[in-house]
Amino acid sequence: MTDVHTDGNGVAGLLGELLAMEVTALQRRCHSCGAENPLAAHRAYHGAGVVLRCPACADVALRIGVRDDALVVEWRGTFTGQRPR
Amino acid sequence: MGRLIPHRIAWRVATVREVVVESPRARTLVLEVPDWPGHRAGQHVDVRLTAEDGYQAQRSYSIASAPELDTLELTVELVDDGEVSPYLVQELRAGDVFEVRGPVGGHFSWAVADGGPLLLVGGGSGLVPLMSMLRHRGARASAVEAHVLASARSEQDALYRDELQGLEPRAGLSVAWTFTRTPPPGWSGYARRVDAAMLADVAPGPGERPLIFVCGPTPFVEAVADLLVDAGHDPRSIHAERFGPTGG
Repeated sequence: MTDVHTDGNGVAGLLGELLAMEVTALQRRCHSCGAENPLAAHRAYHGAGVVLRCPACADVALRIGVRDDALVVEWRGTFTGQRPR
Repeated sequence: MGRLIPHRIAWRVATVREVVVESPRARTLVLEVPDWPGHRAGQHVDVRLTAEDGYQAQRSYSIASAPELDTLELTVELVDDGEVSPYLVQELRAGDVFEVRGPVGGHFSWAVADGGPLLLVGGGSGLVPLMSMLRHRGARASAVEAHVLASARSEQDALYRDELQGLEPRAGLSVAWTFTRTPPPGWSGYARRVDAAMLADVAPGPGERPLIFVCGPTPFVEAVADLLVDAGHDPRSIHAERFGPTGG
């Protein structure tokens, strides 16, 4: 199968509505390889749901899917953001 | 580190005020969206269409207009066999309505206050969010250095070509086109896919620490980003936005 993907920018609308914040600039440290990348730079694979993968090691970073009529979002790794106090 | 920006977004009804022909396959939809919160250049919106039987289809489209404008403009290119773009490009008329959610995407965005120099590389309709940045630069009469490389299959497919030619302020602005399939007759410019030599011609050197925005189909973006990293640019300075192949 060819490697068909987009990137984390595409889930910004859904996550933005759920969390009431801008998510694409969140910095994620991969639990698997330690690479740090903004959410926007993660690879997005679209199927029944959406899976974001680390651009360095391809391990799963975020899963968005539907389970029993509920929208389920699963986060993996450390996500960091900051704002002025 | 990512800036935390509180950001309430919801689905809003957009009314089409005007449909502008940009190319045989692309239209700009001029929209009126009540209570639109404003956007940063480079951001996109999600568009949702609902059929009479309740079936919904949703896609993301980049905002083409400057934040300074009263209306919201999206430029949409037709994707053959797509589910949403054929309706937006071929069916939509002034007065029609659909839903938009946004603006979204803070990573791929730029404002004059962020400075430069800018390197903007667009493939096909990947030029759309970059155009918003250039229109914003123009609206603010900013002399931030901006280097644009636009790739299109042919002259016919090229978006905003006349506007780019006349864009102000001229100082600090350079625009280069490459036509990858059918260059115009007598064309003496680039007529090949973006490569290292082309980027070396067009782009500021890594030492100038440009802010880089690359948008286009996934293979285009990955090829350009790899070339830029190979040329010594800091990967963290490269902001990328990929589109396709999710069915247009």
